[in-house]
Amino acid sequence: MAVPEAVTLVDLALKATTAYQRPDLSARLRHTRDRLADPSVRVLVVGEFKQGKSQLVNALVNAPVCPVDDDIATAIPTVVRYAESPGVTLVREPQSDSGEPLPPQRSQAPIEQLAQYVSEAGNPGNRHQLSYAEVGLPRRLLESGLVLVDTPGVAGLGSSHGAATMGALPRADAVLLVSDAAQEYTAPELDFLAAARQLCPNVACVITKIDLYPQWRKIVELDRGHLQVAGESTRMFPVSSTLRLHALKTEDQALMEESGYVELIHYLQRDVLGHADDLDRRSVSQDVLAVAEQLATSMKSELAAQEQPERAAQLIAQLTESRRRADELRQRSARWQQTLNDGVQDLTSDIEYDLRDRLRGVSREAERVIEQSDPKNTWDQLANWLEQQVSQAVSQSSLWAIQRAQYLATQVAEHFSQNGAALLPQFDYGAQDFRSANLQAIERPELENVSLFSKLFTGIRGGYGGFVMGGMAMGLAGASMLNPVSAGAGLLFGGKTLHDELKRNKQRRQSEAKVAMRRHIDDVTFQTGKDSRDMLRQVQRNLRDHFTSIAEQMTTSLNDAVVSAQKAVQTDEASRGSRIRDLRAELERIEHLADRARALDSSTARFSAGLSMVGVGR
Amino acid sequence: MTRSVSGGQVPGSPHLGNAVRGLVRRGMEIYSDSPQASAWLRMNLARFDEPLRVAIAGKVKAGKSTLLNALVGEEIAPTDAGECTRVVTWYQDGPSPQVLLHPKGSPPHQLSIHRRDGALSFDLGGTPVERIERLTVDWPSQSLRGTTLIDTPGIDSLSTDVSARSHQFLAPEDTPTAADAVIYLMRHLHSGDVRFLESFHDQRVAKATAVNTIAVLSRADEIGVGRLDALISAKRIAGRYRTDDKLRELCQTVVAVAGLLAQTGRTLRQAEFTALTALATLPRSEMDALLLSADRFVKSDIAADSARLDSSVRAGLLDRFGLFGVRLGVTLIRQGVTEPAKLSSELVRRSGLDDLREVLAIQFTERRDLLKARSALLALDLVLRKEPRPASQPLAVELERTMSGAHEFAELRLLTALRSGAVKMSKDDRLEAERLLGGEGSAPAARLGLDPMSDPREVRDAAMAALNDWRRRAENPLANRQVADTARVVVRSCEGMLAGLPG
Repeated sequence: MAVPEAVTLVDLALKATTAYQRPDLSARLRHTRDRLADPSVRVLVVGEFKQGKSQLVNALVNAPVCPVDDDIATAIPTVVRYAESPGVTLVREPQSDSGEPLPPQRSQAPIEQLAQYVSEAGNPGNRHQLSYAEVGLPRRLLESGLVLVDTPGVAGLGSSHGAATMGALPRADAVLLVSDAAQEYTAPELDFLAAARQLCPNVACVITKIDLYPQWRKIVELDRGHLQVAGESTRMFPVSSTLRLHALKTEDQALMEESGYVELIHYLQRDVLGHADDLDRRSVSQDVLAVAEQLATSMKSELAAQEQPERAAQLIAQLTESRRRADELRQRSARWQQTLNDGVQDLTSDIEYDLRDRLRGVSREAERVIEQSDPKNTWDQLANWLEQQVSQAVSQSSLWAIQRAQYLATQVAEHFSQNGAALLPQFDYGAQDFRSANLQAIERPELENVSLFSKLFTGIRGGYGGFVMGGMAMGLAGASMLNPVSAGAGLLFGGKTLHDELKRNKQRRQSEAKVAMRRHIDDVTFQTGKDSRDMLRQVQRNLRDHFTSIAEQMTTSLNDAVVSAQKAVQTDEASRGSRIRDLRAELERIEHLADRARALDSSTARFSAGLSMVGVGR
Repeated sequence: MTRSVSGGQVPGSPHLGNAVRGLVRRGMEIYSDSPQASAWLRMNLARFDEPLRVAIAGKVKAGKSTLLNALVGEEIAPTDAGECTRVVTWYQDGPSPQVLLHPKGSPPHQLSIHRRDGALSFDLGGTPVERIERLTVDWPSQSLRGTTLIDTPGIDSLSTDVSARSHQFLAPEDTPTAADAVIYLMRHLHSGDVRFLESFHDQRVAKATAVNTIAVLSRADEIGVGRLDALISAKRIAGRYRTDDKLRELCQTVVAVAGLLAQTGRTLRQAEFTALTALATLPRSEMDALLLSADRFVKSDIAADSARLDSSVRAGLLDRFGLFGVRLGVTLIRQGVTEPAKLSSELVRRSGLDDLREVLAIQFTERRDLLKARSALLALDLVLRKEPRPASQPLAVELERTMSGAHEFAELRLLTALRSGAVKMSKDDRLEAERLLGGEGSAPAARLGLDPMSDPREVRDAAMAALNDWRRRAENPLANRQVADTARVVVRSCEGMLAGLPG
């Protein structure tokens, strides 16, 4: 459990929502609790071929889990996480013929056979059709939920491997970009870094093999310069896996310092894990505060009516008006709903146009290439090139779609807040002593300090709202980025027939090649277009459900408030005194809950730093 | 590169050279009134007699300048940890050292040369790199006599215009390239590399052939993360690349070379040998601790005490050898190498440079005339296409006939087709055909797969046997057309060989 105090708090709040019979709020809290129950913090280790990614993972956990080879070694991703005893799980995520994901198949394997499945030598071209391998290790570093993912080498952003890695980015809590000290960053590496930073809040650069290159300081300096030019401020860690492993064997503390791993592990523990914990704390704090606010509304209105019965009529009128407005928010005609619907429609057509435009460019370029050469000789190269171009176009388009969708979400949130945030009325409790009884904060929750966006979406990994956002980015990046890769197989199949059947004349071959190419691009356009439409529809549905349920919770609260205020008017003088005492006691309990939530939030060490890091899409 | 090659010349090469020269001269006559065209053709005719131009290309920091130094045997190309070569630089043999800067559109001027610790450096004198067409370095060197080496800026460089200049030079859009052949360096197989090789291919004579390209798996010592068996691994990987269908289409062969080791091996100094010997006297455990990392090697106190080696001396060693080189050097001395010359040759041998030089001799030096003829025909073809005239019509026909008729070009085309897998035949047959067509060297012994020192009789018998064998295949009524065509070209190669053999 990453943050035990957060879990305790959610359980406490759950008890309160059950006691006050608010199943709608309980559902919301249960969701938050489910998110908390999975403590894993995924760190993706990415980079080009032969930069020492696997060795980095091995050195971190001090075990030869990822096979290392002088030639290309890693064929499929390896997920290293905590387990009581060492073990390997192989996971296959099959797809149905129409491309729909089927439930994953998991099988166990002895740990010493891992290399047979994850290495290029044991599993050439991934003939076992594995999606990834999961290694469990009893290591203290991993105990707090750290999950290391070793990925196959990426040859530039454009390749299909690269697109697959990109697709995994939104699901990652942090990314380590690995590059060795042999040379400074290349253009593809910097491109990848820039894209990674769009999709993942926490990216750091690791420079490996510093034991081997006397000039490594200069390379680090050069790299830092490149990052500055590109406007990136990314942490850099020069490390040597060889030295770390040697230091662990000989228990040499000085050598350990030299290896650079001390800082890297510190970063993983403090910044990555700490950041994830901060997010957990903050999202839980905000969820609980919101729930407390809702719970208090009805009691506070009754209290106000009990204390000043002469002004009850005015209060009831005010509450009824608020309820009407909250009710309006639930309607399809609400402004935020319109913003959402129009926005999704615009977005769908923009993204479709963008994708078509990019693919048309690819198609034109491909036609030019076909016209200049005889497809008989160049088809294989062309097919390969085409696949790269297409997957690059699709991933760029998806990246843009994610950013646009995130922006849309902010806009909807703003609209919602303009009409919705001020709905819960301010209560005027005449009695002065009551204010001093540390209840004042609940009148005006301090949530205003935090921008509404982060209140509703506490980052990818956050609570309830964050789940919506994370799911969205994941879906968008996952499906449409990975699909062109499988579509590539169809193209190659098309290429086979071209080889065998068309040997007669060049023009005929050229026109056949063009037809095959266009058909492929059409297929990709159709498939990706459908994927992104589906995804956006999903985004629309998620956002609508999310805001509607908030509006519903508010309506319920206000409804309760009206009813209790009306009841209060009918209370006789005699029981009024004791009722007020009861209400104050109840409110104090709720305020105690809110206090704990606020305390949880303020224990977040780098609150503002965390905020800027989760500022998705800004 | 200057290695003389035993065995016969490419059959009919002088003849082809003369025919091509004749074609270019006729072109000059026809275009005598066009100063641009005739100057272009005159330049290309002159180029025919110049040394073969070999460009060294590859991604940034692939070790191009280091390999160039290793091939020349002197540190004449500046090398650095950061991106270093920013201008295309020609290194050619000359009576005295001289560096000329050729700005775009104005006459060249001389640069001053600095030499420090044997390494050459020159100052561009404030001329911005984008205004420079190229530098030429004249250097008296036996190694440059037969070959002019051209150092190029790296591809995929961060400053995009450095990349652009490289592409422009090696694969210009509409002119034949200035290089006759290319050594392409790659650290590992990146997708960018393959695309680059593709762009090098021209459209006419050697269309989609890899005939003038050799790939080098460079910085081979780093592949095994500095372990002593790193070069064995590197050779294994180069072997895998050699059998990779995609690479076979793109280059003749792949060789693994540890450039730094080769460069230092060829320029080893007495002081360095002494320092390494001093290191080798350290007890094993001390030495292992010392050689654990580059930082330790430079900073450690152990060596200062026991081997009396100054930190700056160690930093110098590391610069010249790399950590792997120091490890290897010390190990060799411990194993009983006692002379600098022996160490030097052992380092060069292990670096893979000898393999590369042998491949260069077979693929480039032996084929010099063919590569030159190809460059000249490309140049003439360009003029004929850019400025077609009624008078040039017969010349165009003649050019076409030479391109399609000359057996050397037919061999090249067929080699490419075989390598690309376009001809369906069994693997053994294909490999034999490739060998007979000169894929592993154009000397008869190499074509027949015999020892270069073989008895002429034996060579003759083998050639005869091959001729009969392939003639049967050419005439086999059941063979498909592709195979029959292939067999006919192979038969022609065998006949050419027999005609060139004594007796």
